[in-house]
Amino acid sequence: MIPPPIPAPDPLLLPMPPLALKALLLVTFAMHLMAVNVGVGGSLLAGIHVLRGRPEDRDLVRRLAPMLPAAVTFAITLGVAPLLFVQLSYGPFFYTASVLTAVPWLSLLALLLAGYTLLYRFVGSMGTGRSSAGWGIAASLLLLSVGLMLVNVTTLSLRPDLWVAQAATSPHGLHLNRFDPTLWPRFLHMSVGMVAVAGLLLAGWGAWRKEAYARRVGMMWFIVATVSQVAWGTWLLVKQPAPILGLLLDANTLPSLTLWGSIAFGALALFLAIPASQKGAPPRAVWPPLGLGMVSVLGMILLRDQARDASLAAFGFHAASLPHQTDWTSMGVFGLALGTLVVLLVVLVRWGSQAPVEEGEAP
Amino acid sequence: MNHPVWDLPGLGSGWIIGLISILHVSIAHLVVGAGLWLAWMETHAQKNSDAPLGAWLRLRAKGLLWLSSVLGAVTGVGIWVAIGLVNPTATQHLIRAFVMAWAIEWLLFAGEMATLIVLVGAYDRLRPRQRLILTGLYALFAWFSLVVINGIVTFMLSPGTGWSTSHSMWDGFFNATYLPSLLLRTCVAMALGGLWALADGGPPGALLRGQILKRTARFTLAGVLLAIPAGWFYFQSFPTAARELVLGNLRGTTGLAVGFRWALWGLGAYLVPAILVGWAHLAPRSFRPPVALLGLGFACWGFGGFEWIREVARKPFVIRGVMYANGIRVEQVEGFQKEGFLPQNAWARAFAESKGNTDLAKGEAILRSQCLACHTRSGYRGLQGLTATYTEAELIAMIQGIRERDPATNPYLNFMPPFAGTEQEAEWVGKYLNTLKAK
Repeated sequence: MIPPPIPAPDPLLLPMPPLALKALLLVTFAMHLMAVNVGVGGSLLAGIHVLRGRPEDRDLVRRLAPMLPAAVTFAITLGVAPLLFVQLSYGPFFYTASVLTAVPWLSLLALLLAGYTLLYRFVGSMGTGRSSAGWGIAASLLLLSVGLMLVNVTTLSLRPDLWVAQAATSPHGLHLNRFDPTLWPRFLHMSVGMVAVAGLLLAGWGAWRKEAYARRVGMMWFIVATVSQVAWGTWLLVKQPAPILGLLLDANTLPSLTLWGSIAFGALALFLAIPASQKGAPPRAVWPPLGLGMVSVLGMILLRDQARDASLAAFGFHAASLPHQTDWTSMGVFGLALGTLVVLLVVLVRWGSQAPVEEGEAP
Repeated sequence: MNHPVWDLPGLGSGWIIGLISILHVSIAHLVVGAGLWLAWMETHAQKNSDAPLGAWLRLRAKGLLWLSSVLGAVTGVGIWVAIGLVNPTATQHLIRAFVMAWAIEWLLFAGEMATLIVLVGAYDRLRPRQRLILTGLYALFAWFSLVVINGIVTFMLSPGTGWSTSHSMWDGFFNATYLPSLLLRTCVAMALGGLWALADGGPPGALLRGQILKRTARFTLAGVLLAIPAGWFYFQSFPTAARELVLGNLRGTTGLAVGFRWALWGLGAYLVPAILVGWAHLAPRSFRPPVALLGLGFACWGFGGFEWIREVARKPFVIRGVMYANGIRVEQVEGFQKEGFLPQNAWARAFAESKGNTDLAKGEAILRSQCLACHTRSGYRGLQGLTATYTEAELIAMIQGIRERDPATNPYLNFMPPFAGTEQEAEWVGKYLNTLKAK
């Protein structure tokens, strides 16, 4: 077999140990994914509840919709960091995949801009009494298609063996990653997972604010979406390339442990979500499935990373052994900036949630 | 180019960067300037206990939030996407060199967004002092993100000898053009931000409106006028070769004269807003907001012209003295000329093999990797048109001639990378170029 044309890595050294980079990649990706779950999954739920049209649905959306654009803002901002770190560690694979599907990849910008604008329109319409479910659903579908473009590049970046065929059939980068059977199941798995997590967070909000309706519908969304993962998750699993599938089914490997551990946490969350979704259930019943569900998501993020490293190791690439020279000065400045930002965020949250100035109170 | 090539016929992929960049840098600078303006006006509103002004500023902050979180953020991601597609090798090199700067800039942008979201969303709950702090912090975050990005952009023009040996981020960051560029960009940001504020026309109420327009006009005028000495200072800090290239283009000695004329008109157009904001200052009652929008258009044209000249001044490099525009590093050229480009470039080899590995296929593969970053076959900077009068023998001789790495014998080196391949490979490219005539 002719070796796939994997570009040579850049000669400049990494500014920190690969493991530190990996940690930054995973942490920022997890944060990004959470904001995406709220912004995109939440937009879809909001659109559907407005479409349902009952007063309690509209009231719920009216109260929660203003958070959605801010969540998308954070999703974009938080998405830049993992994009940066993935390019640093996996550059030859990431760039090649993006060039091979250049037009869909670039279309991500138009989709994001359109989805974001429609979302602002949807949220704006909530205050006017002429709310339109269409704007919300269209916005969430456009934002979901941004996810499709990301999955498209990610899946192709893991399959250097498909690159030459992709380049030959798509010389101008017009097509999606058409040769990889994991594209669509991975996209569906991710989209449905987004709905499940948005539902969990909605239920958590309902439990926190003693909003029984929000708690119940949130749990219902989580249950329905998670049950359907039996289909999407299984489809994604069986479509993995043989070496990866073997790794996932072999009980002695770390990826296998992560996969089945995450599934077990998800199943337990599902089991506990059923009583928590009942009418008379106490609000505190939400916390165990919420916590377990989040552990399951974090496990899946780890698994995603392990599967990536295993896929690329088959082509002789080991991110963990990339040469580095730690740039302590830059790391120090970064740490200082990060610490300042964290302190500032705490202050901002306090100021943003304080009570308004009472009349007669000194400002 | 180490990676596959995005072959975009007609327009050429470089235009994608140009279009997204012009939009993004205009918005990004506007947001920086508007942040400084907002903090200044908020201070003024609180000093004078001017509640209507405060309420109006909240609406401007809301507009700013939409502008920066939607258009600014998306086009910012857009530049990354575009440069990664058009020149992945250079993008990877820059990311390796400046990842921590980008990471710091990311924190600043996150702070910028968080501050603005709280300022707009919790305006009624914030105490006046808190509002003052938040507008100040927002301005600081926005300006500091310029402080950071400026280091990377100026590095590409003047990386300096220190970085070439140490590869230390800070050696490249604080380079010869860093400070002048920062001054110039701050002035441009003030001009754009001020014009954006003027475009709203201020709140109803003659007294208040006049007061706001006058103050904003002064802010904008400072940005427009101070940009002139800052621009001169910046140009003087250019590396000699870059300055010569710009001056050569101004004299019309290269093929970029048309683009330069447009850019120069733009630099002239940048001064038009000075007259328009003068109107806002002297006769605020008769001032009409669309005039400020027109001014904003002129200023963006001028800024676009400046950015275009800065890009051209880098030629034939993407990072001056380090990496050519086609992603080939300077130190790689000799090796490619001795050992051959195809044996060392997996993607060019794969392309040639997919087309039967004929001489023409190999020529096309090398041309894609070395020429399409700037040229197209028959569209923008089309090779078909540029080589129309050459015979096949002349084309081969020309490509073999531009293998020369001495500017005295290869005048193209002032604005085009040397051909990085063997004489045999140059012959294949020449043969392929000859086939373009028939298309």
